Formats: sequence, C-alpha cells, structure tokens
Amino acid sequence: MNESAERARNIIENYNGKKIRIMEVCGTHTHEIFRQGIRKLLPHNIQLISGPGCPVCVTPVSFIDEAVWLSENKHATICTFGDLMRVPGTEKSMLDVRRDGGKVQIVYTPLDAEKYAEENPSEKVVFLSVGFETTTPASCLAVRNAAKAGLDNFSILTANKTMDHAYPLLADSTDAYLYPGHVQAIMGTAICKRLLKSGISGVVAGFTAAELLTAIATCVTLLQDDKPFFCNCYPRVVTDDGSPAARVLMQKYMEPIDAEWRGIGMIPGSGLKLRNEFSQFDARLMFDIPIMHGHSNPACRCGEILRGSVLPSECPLFGKVCTPEHPIGACMVSREGTCSAYYQYGRN
Amino acid sequence: MDKMITLAHGGGGRKTSELINNIFRKHLGNEEFTSDDAAVLEPAAKKIAFTTDGFIVTPWRFPGGNIGKLSLCGTVNDLTCMGAHPKWLSCACVIEEGTPVDDVEEIVRAMAETAIEAGVHIVCGDTKVAGRGQVDHMFITTTGIGELQDGIYPKGSNATRGDAVIVTNDIGRHGCTILLSRDQYGIDADIKSDCAPLWGTVSSLFTITKNLHTIRDATRGGVGTVLYELARESNKGIRIDRSKIPVDPAVAGVCGMLGLDPLYLACEGTMVILAPMDDAGKIVEKLHSGKYSRNAAVIGTVTDDEPGKVFVKTDVGTEMILPEPGGELLPRIC
Repeated sequence: MNESAERARNIIENYNGKKIRIMEVCGTHTHEIFRQGIRKLLPHNIQLISGPGCPVCVTPVSFIDEAVWLSENKHATICTFGDLMRVPGTEKSMLDVRRDGGKVQIVYTPLDAEKYAEENPSEKVVFLSVGFETTTPASCLAVRNAAKAGLDNFSILTANKTMDHAYPLLADSTDAYLYPGHVQAIMGTAICKRLLKSGISGVVAGFTAAELLTAIATCVTLLQDDKPFFCNCYPRVVTDDGSPAARVLMQKYMEPIDAEWRGIGMIPGSGLKLRNEFSQFDARLMFDIPIMHGHSNPACRCGEILRGSVLPSECPLFGKVCTPEHPIGACMVSREGTCSAYYQYGRN
Repeated sequence: MDKMITLAHGGGGRKTSELINNIFRKHLGNEEFTSDDAAVLEPAAKKIAFTTDGFIVTPWRFPGGNIGKLSLCGTVNDLTCMGAHPKWLSCACVIEEGTPVDDVEEIVRAMAETAIEAGVHIVCGDTKVAGRGQVDHMFITTTGIGELQDGIYPKGSNATRGDAVIVTNDIGRHGCTILLSRDQYGIDADIKSDCAPLWGTVSSLFTITKNLHTIRDATRGGVGTVLYELARESNKGIRIDRSKIPVDPAVAGVCGMLGLDPLYLACEGTMVILAPMDDAGKIVEKLHSGKYSRNAAVIGTVTDDEPGKVFVKTDVGTEMILPEPGGELLPRIC
C-alpha cells in the first residue's frame, strides 16, 4: 500500500467521533470491500451499508419470467450475462431453462449477442439487457449494429436502469454515498453536484484497496464538518464531463420509463426502454410478451437489505434456505450481491 | 482409410480394425500394446497405485493441447500425486459419428507424444462410436498404474502445522484458456493451457527431500478447491497470502474483466505441495529449474487453528476467509 492509502487507513482505524453511515451503491464496491477485508478495519462507529448497486439484484422477478416465457413459448435463444443465470423467477431461473433444453448463451457483452444473431440467422436471439449506465451504452451499440446489418432475428429485453432517481429515495438511510466510479466515468459528476445542492453528500470512489480506503477516509473527514460535501476521489478515471459520446448514444436509442426495482418497488423515470424508432428490436413488442406479475418469496428481505435498513443476517432465509448455490433473493445471486458477499466472507 | 468416423467403425469388423491399426496402433504401439483381450504386465516389485479418470472438454483442441494430451496428463498426474512412478495406461475412447479421422489422429498423436514424455506405455484400450450428438467429438477415459516409491507417502490428511503451501507454477491457466477458447466473450489474450505431465517435475524433488506431506493436482475447481479439500482432510487450517500467488498477467487481466478469481480456475499442469517450511526454499529453488515449474512459489502455511478453513491475507493486510468455491463459474456483469 502506498503512503496516502496508509494515511487513509489510519484515519479510518483511529476514528472515534460520532456514529456515521456510508452507503456504497455499486456491486463491485460491495464485493471489493469484502474481498479486501476493509470492513475489518472499521471501528464500530463507522457503518458501511450496501445499497442497490448490483444490476442483477434489482432486476425484478417478472423480468426473469418474461425471459423464461420467450424461451418456452417462442423458442428464442436467450443471450445473457453470466450472473443473471441463477436469478430466480417465479418458477424458474435461466439455469433451469437451460437444464430443460432451452437455448441459453452466456455472453460478455451485448455486442457478442448481436454477433451471434448475425451468425445464426435461423435463431431468434434475445439479449437480456440489464445494467446501469456502464453497460447500457453497449446495448445501444448492439442495437445500432443490428440495424446496420438489417437483422430481423435480434432483439433486446430491457431492464436497464439509471441511478439518479434512486439517490434521493435512499438518502435517509445514509450520511454519505460512495458514488460508483464506473457509472460516474460515463455520467460525469453533474448528478453528484446536483445532489449536493439538495444536501446529499458523497464521494466518487475507485475500486482498488487504496482507492476505497481513500474514499472512505475522505467521507469520514468531511462528515465532521456537518455540511454537505462532494469530492471526486477517482480522478484518474472520472472527469466532470464523463463520456459525452456514451451519453449521446444512450439518449439516441433509449428513453426513460418508470421501472420496478426488485425489493424496492417502482421508481418513476428510473428505467430505460428503446425509443419508438427502434421498436423493431424491442423483444416485448417483437414477441408480444404478456404482462407478467412475478411473485417472489414473501419471507425474502432483499428489499430492506438493498435500502440498508436490515443486515442480511436479519433475514430469516439467509444462509438457511437462501445460499449462493440455491438463491431465493437476487442479492444472493451475483457475487456482487450484498447477501452473497456477507455469506461468502462471513458477517464481519 | 475413410475421412469421417461412421458407426461402422464401431461395429467390430474390418473398419474397426482399420481404425485401431491405422490410428491407435500406429501412434501408440509399444512392446506391451496388445491385440488380445487384456494386456499382460510384469508385476511391480513394489506396491502399485491405480487410478482412472474421464475426460470431456469443449473445445477438444485448445491453445497448449487437446483432449488427447489432457487425458494422458490427468492420469499421469493423479499417479504422481501419490508419489507413484506412472508406468502403464489404458485408454477408452468414445468417438462421435461424423468426427473427421484427421481429428482423431491429431488427438491420438498428442496422446502418444505425451506418453513418451511421461515415460508411460499405453498398453490396452477400447474404441466405441456413438451416434451424432450423443457425445461431443470424443470422450476419453484413461486408467493408470504407477509404482510407489520407497519413503514417499503423500496424502491429503498428512498436512502438518507449519507446512509450507507451495504451488508448482502460476495458477489458473488451463481454466482461463478453455473459457476463452469457447469464444463466447470476444476476448483475445495470449494464454496457453498449462496442461503437462508432471512426474518429471515432482520426482526431481526426491533428490532434495522425500518428506513431501501432500501432493495434489489443482484441476477442476483450481487451487482454492484443493486447499479446502486439504484443510478438511487433515483437519488443519490454511493461510495464504494473495500477494504471493503467481498468476500470469494475462490470466489476471482476463479474470479482472470477467470477475473471476484465478484461485478457482482449473490447472492441468500445476500441483499444490505441502512440505515442512524448512525444506520449502530448496524445493522452490529446484522447481524453478524445471520447464513446467518456473513460477513455483510458497503461497502460505498450514496452521492448527481454524481447522477446515482457508484464509487469505489481502492487499490491505487484513485476513479474510477464502469464499468456498461452488457451482458453475459464471462471469459477472460489468
């Protein structure tokens, strides 16, 4: 560790002020904080809360049900990110679909799904488009490529989300946010500054141990002043302007809609769907998917866990019937999910 | 000879003989290779180790090897893990109808070359042809016999407090290679499987010490899985230091992109060795001179506390439990 990381570590370990809460809203932050053992450095008066930052975790049950329906009723080839495979729908996950003979391909980017559709014109290829601002531009690129290639066998099932509208909603649960470095690399820092004006504090954090320690120590220090703050602690990647090109792409292909967040409910304007000009690539329209009303396990407390109001260990299912091998709630599915990280790395 | 394998090659008649003589006997022939129903072997003067392993891999050909080489290395390395000198192997092949004969020959040639390198004889075998789609290209089962060596009795339960945890080379290369070979992720990286027969590597250590408590090949599930197996079998704890684990930079890069941990990726030419810490320096030094173990390293120690568990020292110097591997490896989003 370098000198500034050591300094940050000292600030954190020796903190003895009032109790403070810091919420990370990025799945990779959650995972790295556990993996690096950073929670072990925290004194009792610093509480780290894992918010709804993992795109898999906030994907609603009904979305999985739609994908299952597409496979079983339309024999579509489903292309998906790997960690969506285990997410339970009302009755089935995509792993179950594959076991039962449905065609499910794991891809690394939406562009791979579009390429697969080009190479396999006899298959109806649907990409499960989940993700925040980091992955959405690639979905838009896939649609752009499909339009260029004149494909009629490629579509995307959208559940893309944006963080902007979630921050004010969760502001009561935390004293400061660790803003997700990758999202801010696309979106820039304007949103953080807007939030600052309405009294919401936060710092942009990177992903290495040193970057995370620095970001947390900055929060700890600035919280002592009792006035809202914003600081970009990830300047090597995040600029004020972000990536205008990626934003232009998103604006061209997608438009905001109200979206359901698993466990949290509807957040107006927090989702994205394809604009009407590109509706031929919208799987819901292409296949006329019926409206699904997903049912999740009523005992699952993922929603409260995502809001930071309870710890995974307070959920009656955690570690008993809900484990990484047999997840009930989405927070246990992805290794970036809060419950999964708690389960794998213990509860400290 | 035909260009494609057909069900007739599995029928037991002229075509079966053609396949065996023109491909298998041609490449694998040795004085003990038999046409009779069973090979006849000189009994070993010592105790023998006896093992079997089945191989299916998609794709069958990958950078650094193919299923033929893999099927030889797997069984040779299993015998090696017992400290047994691999001597004789059998191989049973189930070939998919429609497989090009050239592919079969490529696989058998790799088996022959690896057998020569490992110093083993393939003495008997079997071929069957399955209908298209019933197997993927070719499935191979190899069974092996090795002679135990005096004074060497490595076992998982032998792990002892204070043992060094040594990996014989950088980890995770085979698993990473296979993942990329499936061409799902559009990632190009210069990574080759570590697939190799390791009797030479391991037996070279016997000149230094015979006190190797445990030797285990870190195949399916990778080094992380092996460490958990050893911790359980010996009822000891294991502590490793992440900064000491040798990982090829390209493998580390791919793992970073896909959200995978090299500790859980398969190795096919890398062993985990537990031996007294006093011998560890000499062992690693010797390994560094071998062609399959240039990146060998001590990555941790065996402890008495926390039996059955594995802990990792992180970059910030804290200690975390190593998450127990389980299920299929699924790359994560973003």
